[in-house]
Amino acid sequence: MNLAGFIARNAMRNKRRVILTTFSVALSLFLYTVLQTALREMTQPASSEDSALRLVVRHRVSLANVLPVKYHARINSMPGVRVCSKFTWFGGVYQDAKNFFPQFACEPDKIAPLFAEAEFDPREIADFIGDRTGCIVGVKTMERFRWKVGQKITLTGTIWDCSPELTIRGVYRGGVDETNLFFQHAYFDELTGDLGSVGTYWIKALNADVIPELIARIDRTFENSDAETKTETERAFQLSFVSMFGNIKMLIGSISTVIVFTMILVTASTMSMAIRERMREIAILKAIGFDGKRVVSMIVAESFGLALAGGIVGCFGAKLLFANVDIYALTQGFFLKFDVTPHILAGGMLIAAVLGVTSCAIPALTAMRATIVAGLRELD
Amino acid sequence: MQTPMVQIRALSRRFQQGDVEVLALDRVTLDIAEGDFVALMGPSGSGKSTLLHIIAGIDRPTSGQCIVRDVDVATLSESALANWRNSHVGFVFQTFNLIPVLTALENVELPLLLTGLSAAQRRAHAEAALELVGLSDRLRHLPRQLSGGQEQRVAIARALATDPTLLVADEPTGNLDARAAQDVLELLEVLNREAGKTIVMVTHDPKAAGHARRIVRLEKGELSPDAAAGLAT
Ligand SMILES: Nc1ncnc2c1ncn2[C@@H]1O[C@H](COP(=O)(O)OP(=O)(O)OP(=O)(O)O)[C@@H](O)[C@H]1O
Ligand SMILES: [Mg+2]
Repeated sequence: MNLAGFIARNAMRNKRRVILTTFSVALSLFLYTVLQTALREMTQPASSEDSALRLVVRHRVSLANVLPVKYHARINSMPGVRVCSKFTWFGGVYQDAKNFFPQFACEPDKIAPLFAEAEFDPREIADFIGDRTGCIVGVKTMERFRWKVGQKITLTGTIWDCSPELTIRGVYRGGVDETNLFFQHAYFDELTGDLGSVGTYWIKALNADVIPELIARIDRTFENSDAETKTETERAFQLSFVSMFGNIKMLIGSISTVIVFTMILVTASTMSMAIRERMREIAILKAIGFDGKRVVSMIVAESFGLALAGGIVGCFGAKLLFANVDIYALTQGFFLKFDVTPHILAGGMLIAAVLGVTSCAIPALTAMRATIVAGLRELD
Repeated sequence: MQTPMVQIRALSRRFQQGDVEVLALDRVTLDIAEGDFVALMGPSGSGKSTLLHIIAGIDRPTSGQCIVRDVDVATLSESALANWRNSHVGFVFQTFNLIPVLTALENVELPLLLTGLSAAQRRAHAEAALELVGLSDRLRHLPRQLSGGQEQRVAIARALATDPTLLVADEPTGNLDARAAQDVLELLEVLNREAGKTIVMVTHDPKAAGHARRIVRLEKGELSPDAAAGLAT
């Protein structure tokens, strides 16, 4: 036997304590890892994905403000723009107020290139382009209302006072959201009396590298006009809806902090109970010749080992789990991927290490200071 | 005549308990020669354990001196004192105080972890010590798998492992039945007579004290006048 073996034996002496401590540290750090990864995925979109190339141009003030149609040509001619489509939120219902689903007025020939990750039938796209009152619907909404291609449907506007009568020309599958309905912006303009305005412009950039410059250029171009723009990635655009419910970043940050502190308190209390039980043995060790420093380092090593074991299970468990889970399907497209990065893993392990030391600091100091004679009297 | 191994000079130890001050040892002066086997006797609360603790370097006197092999133990720093105990003192307690998660062999090896010995040497020393106390066949047993008498013999083996100058025992037979107590006392006697170990043993039991070479009596922290008298065996 050596000193390390003795420390390991001490750590393992109470199986229930080992399991509970390791498990609670693992669970907390698993949560921490998930939260940090979610935060990262939400705030910095994946650049390799097709969807990351999409930008949304909207009115700087709010989504309720519209943009002039004349912006279309100017944006379209900017370098780095592959596709630019008018994109107006219709916000109607089908037959009944509870039958809500997203509907957009857009340019029929731009839909397929804009949402390249979704599956469109080229013949159906051609039919859609050829029919002024045609529409293309996501498979989920088709199934929901048991619609068939060729069927005529009427939407009732809730924002715009009109009721488009549409013919379903095609179905799309896959992509970020399978519930949308797309119909022609030209038809929408006709129904609303050619207002000359557009809700938003959706852009597909040539590649990820041009995005920052493109965003800056668009917003700079329309600066100091009646309708100043705010251009952002699709992900950031979606996030602005999420953020309506509060500052996500701060929320996740504070939850993480609470997790870490709770974990420190729980581990510290188990650790101090474990050491208290052993005060007499510690007195014996000191009598045998272990000095205070050695006693402290043995306690710290034990606590450190337990915390690190929990950290490994929690952090790397999360990594393993998300490497084998289809997060895209699981979150219905909210997360495209869920990369537990080395950076996040290192953060989690650092917390485990700090936890290991802080949770035993007080019992270790108590053990160091206790006199041998007092220790021998414990439970005597 | 050789200088005594332990020289205790006007040694006092006071304890402060709230407002009350207890004088546990009152100017005790005592010599213990190399190879002696001293039984410390006296009523409960007379200061036996306190004196033993100071001799063994786990407590410090309030005044006076305790010199062991020319070292005034009280002057050592905490760390140096721990080191000194490791090489000079072997402890045996009333409750056997083995580490419950370690086997008999590992318990005996424990003080050797602090020495410069190799793993193989540590093992050999520990095995030899266990053989000396007659437990060669119990190396892999955990304390809870041993009888009280066996546990105490493992504790004695642990006390012997570093080959210390001094063996101190505080009521080593207090928790044992007559038979096991007899074994332990005979073992101590053999260690004293044959291995020349210097032993200081606190005991209540006159029969146990009968195994010592000399009996020292404490009364309310003071040595009894007849302290020097009793020569046993
Ligand atoms: N840490 C302490 N704090 C306060 N008083 C103490 C302390 N240790 C010992 N004493 C007091 O010192 C006196 C001597 O105690 P000691 O333990 O040396 O007695 P003892 O002779 O070993 O008794 P026993 O036979 O009961 O073990 C007692 O009055 C005791 O209450
Ligand atoms: Mg006592």
